[in-house]
Amino acid sequence: MTLADRVGGRPPRGRVTIELDDIQATVLRYRPEPYYGTHMMLHVEDARAGRAFLRDLTPLVASAADWWQAREPWIAVALTYAGLAALGVPEDSLQSFPEAFRVGMAARAEELRDHGANDPRHWEPAFGSGAVHIGVSVFSDSQQTWRDTMDAARRHYEGRPGLTVLTAQDFGAQPGSLNPLGYQDSIGQPAIEGSGVEPLPGQGPAIKAGEFILGYPGEAGVPLPTPAPDVLGRNGTYVGLRKYQARVGAFNRFLHANARTEDERELRAAKLVGRWRSGAPLTLAPNRDDPALGADPLRNNDFTYAADPDGKKVPFGSHMRRMNPRDTRLTILTDVNIHRIMRRSTTFGVPYDPNALSPQDDETPHGLYFIFLSAKAMATLEFLQQVWINNGNFMNLGDERDPNVGLQEDGATFTIPRAPVRRRIHGIETFNVLRGGEYFFLPSLSALRWLGQER
Amino acid sequence: MGKTALESVLSRLAADASRKPPPPVQSAGRVGSRLGKVSELTIIVPFAPGGAERLRAFLRLFGGNLAGADDVGTVHDMRFVFLDNDTRMLFATAYDGDWDAYIDDFATKIPDFLDIIDSAWEGWPGIRSPEAKDYLAKYQITAEGWYVANDLTVAETRRLRRIGAALDEFLDKIED
Repeated sequence: MTLADRVGGRPPRGRVTIELDDIQATVLRYRPEPYYGTHMMLHVEDARAGRAFLRDLTPLVASAADWWQAREPWIAVALTYAGLAALGVPEDSLQSFPEAFRVGMAARAEELRDHGANDPRHWEPAFGSGAVHIGVSVFSDSQQTWRDTMDAARRHYEGRPGLTVLTAQDFGAQPGSLNPLGYQDSIGQPAIEGSGVEPLPGQGPAIKAGEFILGYPGEAGVPLPTPAPDVLGRNGTYVGLRKYQARVGAFNRFLHANARTEDERELRAAKLVGRWRSGAPLTLAPNRDDPALGADPLRNNDFTYAADPDGKKVPFGSHMRRMNPRDTRLTILTDVNIHRIMRRSTTFGVPYDPNALSPQDDETPHGLYFIFLSAKAMATLEFLQQVWINNGNFMNLGDERDPNVGLQEDGATFTIPRAPVRRRIHGIETFNVLRGGEYFFLPSLSALRWLGQER
Repeated sequence: MGKTALESVLSRLAADASRKPPPPVQSAGRVGSRLGKVSELTIIVPFAPGGAERLRAFLRLFGGNLAGADDVGTVHDMRFVFLDNDTRMLFATAYDGDWDAYIDDFATKIPDFLDIIDSAWEGWPGIRSPEAKDYLAKYQITAEGWYVANDLTVAETRRLRRIGAALDEFLDKIED
């Protein structure tokens, strides 16, 4: 389902001031609904083979032209720092990338608060070891076109000496496109100024393109630091990938504890995220779910927090309100517009089962590839992890953490504002455990051609 | 003199050693030290020509108390000390969280306020410049020692004060 389909045929068009023909499709196209696809992680043993692979694959990589109505499946290609080095990118160009990107996500565990259960020591072997060089993803809205596109991509890497596939993770379609804990997800996205589409209801004012795509002015009026040379950096962006294992048993047990009926459990689930599992926001449906509202992209995001200053509808600590505070009055001077991310997450594994209650259910492979894009993805992730996810100070919640992706300590609580007295829930656990992650650079089409050149 | 003082303290230190040691100071991120939730930032920087007079006059407008920092929400205190006959300045602050976290926010929300202060410094590129963070890091010196009495953020302190006042009011009402 394209953006045009979601809004009933005609998205509100605006000026195009960014070079859509050179930007990869994945930066702007919304995730299809339903969505199918594959993420592949490749290792380059031989620089010439790696460059030849890029040369052959790049013509199949779609641009963001007409992104709001493009229907065909698309391929996205991105490279880690180790991958850029393995391709033979010159040293002065490599050094022009930000430090957090150069050392990789595993080496930034301290800044990302990836301790304990999320520590890179416990990650799956492919991630964080410098082995992942190239990420190739296929996104499609049908099983058939997914397979066809995969076949086309496979012809270029399979059996090519000097290139190995480390992992290939299929995803889709999940029943109802639900996320690993049974929610509709990826509803709120930032609107990008000059992308050709005006903001949808509730997206807020369009944010300067340079916050999401390198080479354009950001919110401070100047372009963000961009890698050199210009052909490599311009129209590119950064991607953060975090593979989460969903502890479905723990989550379901938590819902059952202190909630006797299914309605009470669903309200509890809604308070954690800020939306009912149907996608309907508590701001517009504070007491009862409204699945029709949840399914309507023109209504399900159309709200502010002006009518909820005390968090009695959407708790301050809920996932949705933490990740995009909108007009919430924060305790700290903050510009919410410079901490936004584009999301292209995909669920993998067995579908969500509300009756899965055992510890074994925590370990059945099942979870989320959390994938996000931003022209300063590394700095944004560190900010989110430190300030909006693993801390509550910015919402006057002390040490409370995000109930969805927070790394919970013993004795963790979750506060639900309520009259006459707030409800503080004890025994909240880590529901999504980090099992791997990487930072990628997602080049423009020109940059892909430059990278694939014979040297 | 120091040797005698140390000898008399040593026996007490030895007795204390059997108890749980206090947590060590950590890094605040790119530069600076942090203890628990509170970090320190200490900068010694040369004044630009005329910078000292301008900054002094600006501070005097507010009686030396830049209480506008209330709105920032993470600043515990700020110290502006002019050194060496108005040629250099020490700026020191205690603040919540890590070094990197909010600098970009200040650059888009209060850029002019920051530039008024910081343009008193030699070579300040402007808060909007990508060089601003490098400039601060260059002149900042990480503290060797850092002690904080209460591991409370500004927001927590304000909240506890409100709760304390409400509790006293409540107890007053029910004490009869």
